[in-house]
Amino acid sequence: MYRRVSILLRKHFVSVLILCASIVIPFSSVKAAADPAKGKAIFQTNCASCHNVHKKLTGPALAGVEGRWADKKLLHQWIHNSASVLATGDKYANDLFLEFNKTAMTPFPQLSNEDIDDILAYIKVAETAGPKTTGGDTTPGPEAASEKGNDNSLLFGIITLILAVVALILMQINSNLNKLAGDKEGVPTPEPVPFYKNKAYLALIILVLFMVGGYLTIQGAIGLGRQKDYMPEQPIFYSHKVHAGINQINCLYCHAGAEKSKHAMIPSENICMNCHKAIKEYSGPELTNAEGKKINGTAEIAKLYDYVGWDPEAGKYTKPGRPIEWTKIHNLPDHVYFNHSQHVVAGQQQCQTCHGAITEMDEVHQFADLSMGWCINCHRTTKVQFADNNYYSIFEKLHQDIKDKKIDSVTVEMVGGTECQKCHY
Amino acid sequence: MKRTSNILIVAALATGAFLAACNRGEHNRKPGRIYMPDMYESRAYEFYSARLSGLKPVEGTVKRGELLPYHLKESDTALANLVKNPLTITPTDLKEGERLFNIYCGICHGTALDGNGPLYKGGEGPYSAAPANLVAGAKSGYSEGRLFHVMTYGYNMMGSYASQLDREQRWKIAAYIKSKQPGAAAPAAAPATDSTAAAK
Repeated sequence: MYRRVSILLRKHFVSVLILCASIVIPFSSVKAAADPAKGKAIFQTNCASCHNVHKKLTGPALAGVEGRWADKKLLHQWIHNSASVLATGDKYANDLFLEFNKTAMTPFPQLSNEDIDDILAYIKVAETAGPKTTGGDTTPGPEAASEKGNDNSLLFGIITLILAVVALILMQINSNLNKLAGDKEGVPTPEPVPFYKNKAYLALIILVLFMVGGYLTIQGAIGLGRQKDYMPEQPIFYSHKVHAGINQINCLYCHAGAEKSKHAMIPSENICMNCHKAIKEYSGPELTNAEGKKINGTAEIAKLYDYVGWDPEAGKYTKPGRPIEWTKIHNLPDHVYFNHSQHVVAGQQQCQTCHGAITEMDEVHQFADLSMGWCINCHRTTKVQFADNNYYSIFEKLHQDIKDKKIDSVTVEMVGGTECQKCHY
Repeated sequence: MKRTSNILIVAALATGAFLAACNRGEHNRKPGRIYMPDMYESRAYEFYSARLSGLKPVEGTVKRGELLPYHLKESDTALANLVKNPLTITPTDLKEGERLFNIYCGICHGTALDGNGPLYKGGEGPYSAAPANLVAGAKSGYSEGRLFHVMTYGYNMMGSYASQLDREQRWKIAAYIKSKQPGAAAPAAAPATDSTAAAK
């Protein structure tokens, strides 16, 4: 339209043209030569679910698409209706169709040629901008620094030691002064017994050693079979922080069994591939393991592809998959019965109550000690959601007591949560 | 007497040191010691048994309480369009459908169903393909049967959700999506009680 206006102006008012040329012509020429911003909007609504500029998805990566098609008109026709191009027997088109497992491209008859040129302009712009990389976020963060300062036990130990030495010196001085005073008054002091023969000292030392040894023995024996803080190395560096924290994926998305069965379930590999068919590179903040080694996220995703037999270049499964042997962290012995669905559905417990701040953990460690005392304590103090819960409708007496205002809430213990047979049978 | 106490001390210290040494290695990489491990290393029918973990239900069986199997193949999209929801959808079911949608679908399709979930974020997120907008455009016209079909088999970049969601849950989600789409009838207005539709 602007061009038409400028042509009119050129016809009738040459002088005006000269005056306005510097304003109108650059503007009109930009308009005519496709607008990448408009193209981006069209691309996002129509193309982006199957195409990416840099990555192969359902359809090919579009960087350099104009160079690959011999004729721009043919490309327009392909976008309007790909089947008609295939029918002409064009070699490139038919090869492309075969490469993508004969998935036909959705026809877009509603896009005008200008719209398509806008899209192509956007692709060119995005192509030169390069794929987005956001891996530069490597600031260590304040929590690393504060964690170091928290451990004061060394400081306290040093102070205790100094005080003990001072006390010893003072005692020595005291006994020396006593001795001097006794000498002066002519009272004979008995020959001092060396401290390693002094019965009182020996008894004290024996007592202290016995207590320390006993404490260690008991603590060690209680700790047998408990795995609190256990953090094994897993076959793939799967970061819960990246998935559940940064990307906000719900725990149940992968651990769907937590609502339906005894086990929360290690997700099967097809669940990983729901997203990782498209997410081939890691672009989040830098990852390091507990040893401080840097982890290459993209290489870890490649490990997943190797396990499931997926070829990201070809975009299909090329070999039979094999299971990923994750190391089990939370392990209850067979004589304990635990049911996830009971706690998650009937008990309405959050995953984090027992598993800790999973969304902060790059590598998962066992948060609770899973001891019997830990279970029982929680059963004693936790109130169950008693009203409007079909699961507890059979506890008529408790319902009556609530109605009579004898009790105001019901703990797990009151519905049998500390009976032996509840968990051991 | 003295000798006994000496032996006692040494024994106590040694046991203590030994048990305290049941540590988990640097960075807790080892699980620690177990007394009589027979019940920790389960031999029972358990999820983690290497032989049994990958087993599928016996061919041709239906779990109790589960809806009857869905027999259409992935390519039968035309037939899938016609399949009716076998459930009688109540407002509670729609709420459950919404909850499930927000967990399993919302991560890509967004809780507003507009195809802009946290994994895509208008092209800023890690997911490189734009998820389908379920309330506008071509996909807003999908029937419940087609939505169920897509959840069962996947479509384009989307994978199958049959392993995470059972058939009943998928139908509830389909009903929820339908209720949000333009031209949706009031919920539970015309319940399709004919359960033979899905069972074929």
